[in-house]
Amino acid sequence: MTVLCGDKLKKLAAALISLSLVLLSGCIRSEDKVEKLNILASFYPIYIMALNITDGVEGVNLQCMAREQTGCLHDFKLSTEDMRSIEKADSFIINGAGMEGFISDVVGRVDGLNIIDSSVGIELLASGHNHNDDKHEGHDHDENEYNSHLWVSVANCITQVENITEGIIRLDPKNETKYRDNSNRYIEKLRNLKNKMEESLADISNRDIITFHEAFDYFAEEFDLNIVSVIEREPGSEPNARDLADIIDLVNETGVHALFVEPQYPETAADVIAAETDAQVYTLDPGVSGDMDKDAYIDIMNNNLKVLKNALS
Amino acid sequence: MDGIYAVMDFLLPFDWAEYDFMKNALLAVLMLTPLLGFTGTMIVNNKLSFFSDALGHSALTGIGIGVLLGIDNYMISMVGFALLFALCITGIIQSETASSDTIIGVFSAVGVSLGVVLLSANGGFTKYSNYLIGDILAISQSELLLLAIVLAAAIVIWALIFNRLLLASVNADLASSKRVKVRLYNNLFVIMIALLVTISIKWVGIMIINSLLVLPAAAGRNVSSSMRSYHVTSVLFSMVSGVAGLISSFYFGTSAGGTIVLFAAVIYFITFFAGRKRKA
Repeated sequence: MTVLCGDKLKKLAAALISLSLVLLSGCIRSEDKVEKLNILASFYPIYIMALNITDGVEGVNLQCMAREQTGCLHDFKLSTEDMRSIEKADSFIINGAGMEGFISDVVGRVDGLNIIDSSVGIELLASGHNHNDDKHEGHDHDENEYNSHLWVSVANCITQVENITEGIIRLDPKNETKYRDNSNRYIEKLRNLKNKMEESLADISNRDIITFHEAFDYFAEEFDLNIVSVIEREPGSEPNARDLADIIDLVNETGVHALFVEPQYPETAADVIAAETDAQVYTLDPGVSGDMDKDAYIDIMNNNLKVLKNALS
Repeated sequence: MDGIYAVMDFLLPFDWAEYDFMKNALLAVLMLTPLLGFTGTMIVNNKLSFFSDALGHSALTGIGIGVLLGIDNYMISMVGFALLFALCITGIIQSETASSDTIIGVFSAVGVSLGVVLLSANGGFTKYSNYLIGDILAISQSELLLLAIVLAAAIVIWALIFNRLLLASVNADLASSKRVKVRLYNNLFVIMIALLVTISIKWVGIMIINSLLVLPAAAGRNVSSSMRSYHVTSVLFSMVSGVAGLISSFYFGTSAGGTIVLFAAVIYFITFFAGRKRKA
């Protein structure tokens, strides 16, 4: 190894300093000429709602923070890029109810950040509600006290759209009529969807289901389905042998014949259970990923309806 | 498969064996642990335990590459990357520019950091967390078949090259004087470790795989006096901790992989004191 001596060391230092100067100068902000309203949605379902509300309104720059493949924001780590998007945003629309576990950190760090919490006014279910499962009791549920998968119920989704609409109008009152028109039109579509689903699911014979993680609690409540058990309370908490055996026994005793997994997560544990029981595995989509399309949520729910009819009648 | 289940039902009239997933896991343990225990002896002999650890970590990058390429079966990208990784490490070690633990440390760091960057690029690192601790309970029948093939292939390869490999690892000079190509055998061995580690990772997990390679062999070394008894005890310890760990995890409701390693660790400490007493 050669030892760096005086001259060489100086040259190296000079090179390093100039390199960092070049990098720094690249970071200096180029001011936008046109005044734009930068709205940042925390993740996919929220983005789709905001997309419908701001549709066709000029000067709105809507972005989605988490990439569309991310799925739920469980244990989401903010990247440097995410922090930058948040700082640049005029408003940050969140799902709320603990979905954005990182939000308390962000609030302290970014001055004057306008946050629109879409969960206001929704009656929250406790995490682990309606399952006789004491495995997670005694845990310190800092941010996961409530089940935060609100939007999976269409009624909640409507409330969220209303909250977001009010929030955006407060921010940009001059376009109020446009936002309201868009919002009303979308809510109308959602109401139709809800009615249609309620009618179709009114006469199914078997209402007992097992889900993969607790994304479907609000959904089940809305459409009167009975979630007998949840395979993984949180994604990544693999069931151990005891849990698997208990669920298998439960399925055999109660005659549940539908296990619902989500397209965003691999389905190994559900496969194990299905292999040993008469139950079959179906895919229900909680709508946390998909096309960046205005009707994506409605399409996903229509698809879920088909799967449910198929699985439960 | 039904035939095997029927035999197991007859031999194992216990409530844990009523479930097919436990039967599958038991079969997997019975095939994996002897393989890991045997390979472990060579790893401990050649002071390669840090190396196999690094290979395990490289699996993260392998999965990341698989996700990036859109491959459904990450095993392909994991095995591919681990082979490249292993040969790079041995290549650089053989060039003797730095001590081997430094080089392995550097590569291990690259494997982990690149893996984390690739996997969290899509925001959802948690989705892959089951690769960290493995999921032997979810092993499928086709995967069991794959394991059986790997086991058979490993036995054949060991039978063919074991003596020369052992000679090359115990005394390189003697080996070259007998015209054994030391470098070739070292590379072969490294490739075998890479294959074994990456194939097992889906079921054993990145954080646990190395313990299963090192602990039984280290325990065997504590109590054995000959090469033969060393291999036999290592395989035996590995299988005992595998089976005991799996079954207790069922009754205690604990993670299977972790319980297996704890059993292996307990055996290690028992043999440590037993071995000391004997020597004293």
